Amino acid sequence: MARQDRMTSPERMADLLGGRPIDRVPLFLFAKGFSAVNVGYPVASVVNDPEKSFRAQVWTQEMYGHDEEPRLSYAIYGGWEFGGEVKFPTGEFAQAPSISRYPVQSEADVEKLKLPDVKTAGILPLMMEFCRLQEKAGRPIVPSFESPFTTAGNICGVSTLCRWMLKRPELVHRLLRLATDHVLEMMRYWVETFGAERLRPNEGAPTESNNMISAKHFAEFAFPYVKELHGKLLAMGVKHIASHICGEQNANLPYWAQVPMGDPGIVSFGHEVDLATAVKYFGDTCVIAGNIQPAVIQTGTPEQVYQLCGQALAKAKYAPRGFILMPGCELSPLTPPHNVYMMKKAVTDFGWYEAVPSDV
Amino acid sequence: MASAERTQEILKGLREAVVAYDEEAAARLSKAALAEGVSAYDAVRQGLAAGMEKVGEMFAKHEYFVPEVLLCSDALYAGLDILRPHIRAGDASEVRKQIVLGTVEGDVHDIGKNLVKIMFEAAGWLVHDLGTDVKLEKFAEEQARTNADIVGLSALMTSTMLAMPRVIQMIKARSPGAAVMVGGAPLSPEIARQYGADGYARNAGEAVREAVNMLSRLGTKG
Repeated sequence: MARQDRMTSPERMADLLGGRPIDRVPLFLFAKGFSAVNVGYPVASVVNDPEKSFRAQVWTQEMYGHDEEPRLSYAIYGGWEFGGEVKFPTGEFAQAPSISRYPVQSEADVEKLKLPDVKTAGILPLMMEFCRLQEKAGRPIVPSFESPFTTAGNICGVSTLCRWMLKRPELVHRLLRLATDHVLEMMRYWVETFGAERLRPNEGAPTESNNMISAKHFAEFAFPYVKELHGKLLAMGVKHIASHICGEQNANLPYWAQVPMGDPGIVSFGHEVDLATAVKYFGDTCVIAGNIQPAVIQTGTPEQVYQLCGQALAKAKYAPRGFILMPGCELSPLTPPHNVYMMKKAVTDFGWYEAVPSDV
Repeated sequence: MASAERTQEILKGLREAVVAYDEEAAARLSKAALAEGVSAYDAVRQGLAAGMEKVGEMFAKHEYFVPEVLLCSDALYAGLDILRPHIRAGDASEVRKQIVLGTVEGDVHDIGKNLVKIMFEAAGWLVHDLGTDVKLEKFAEEQARTNADIVGLSALMTSTMLAMPRVIQMIKARSPGAAVMVGGAPLSPEIARQYGADGYARNAGEAVREAVNMLSRLGTKG
């Protein structure tokens, strides 16, 4: 007979972040569009309808027994907030919103670009409404943004950002300055509204991938701004930053390891980063999360998913600050439920910590 | 008419201009090639395209990344814009190969697809670029219209790659001889096979070589 959880999700996460023993490895599903589809809502509702988004994610959390707090977020952060236009996902295969018009179209636009009003810009009113639902439910509050470098790419387009890195680096630095200052303003607003203690900010950093840029460019452009941003967020009183270091970023890890994440932070990785490597760089300061390949969760057999999860747990379960089993990136809305269940089953079969007194 | 030595100097300069992403040098040397009687076809193939082939290899080996490759392509096109109008029909000894390219429906990511396009154009292929968020049936229609050797499908998202097996079925139903290759972050050789693709390219730098190998393997064309 399967062992039963000894803690609720909020207890488990509070104790994990508090450095106290927990009953089992927590499970995050990184399931936004999947949650919407799971309860019969349109994929877009997870981003553009705070009530449906919150309900879908809470119900999915309850169904699968996972431990991740809901959040209203998207990887195109900055595109809409700085004055561009976005398209919400529609159609059979769509997974996430996309930018239909970038705020910056030319070099001249960079000079004209202004910091947006954090109370009205882009997704922020929807995110605030969502966070008020979290507050009302007595849950941690999860403001979400992208790293300064990814945000800069969302402001001018990644191809343009790449060209400017070599030809007009001063324009890239201006965009990074604005992106950093904007997130700091946004987070000040959230701290004023909810208090720093309850915030668990969540950040994505996909454009930094070494499939896109070199470690040298990461060090020159991305690293100084994300380091500054995190330092200032922690100085505001935020305790834990969750950062998704997305995709192939092995060459960037020595720099990421110097970015303050909180005590502990949560750093999550794709399958491209081996969990043993992640533990080596971040294990002493951060909870490690990851790294089950979403394509396998989508197209593989249940046995394959279960096996991958078992291997991940064997590798990282005893990371010094803890481990969270999680997909390496966002689950597709079309992921077969039985494969998602395999993640839960693996945690239930292999995720227990023996040291919890009530578990003997 | 340039001497053999001068011709080699111009061709080498064109190759180096592309690798060094020196747009100005690529344009200047392309004009010099025309002014000094170097064949425009040779200047493209042995100069610009050879440079871009080297760039593709450097990208595949992680010596160059997307910023460098994009600027190399700017240098490539700066030269091509000058030289292409002067290439005569019959300069090429082989029939030009064709590829239909696009990012599948629901997916607007275009960087990977555009890098692949650059590599195929540099290699002399005729590229029919359908863009991003391409309706599934459009791939088969365009292949049938152009009789392209290959259809290349791109997807960055795990959800949108699910469109690929359906697109492949549509293409094969309409043109059984057409080859299909797939690529994009969530894909793997195993998934490509599972979807019924004939080929898979891990990155843009390897795409042309994989396409040529695939056609040779299939023994249909090329």
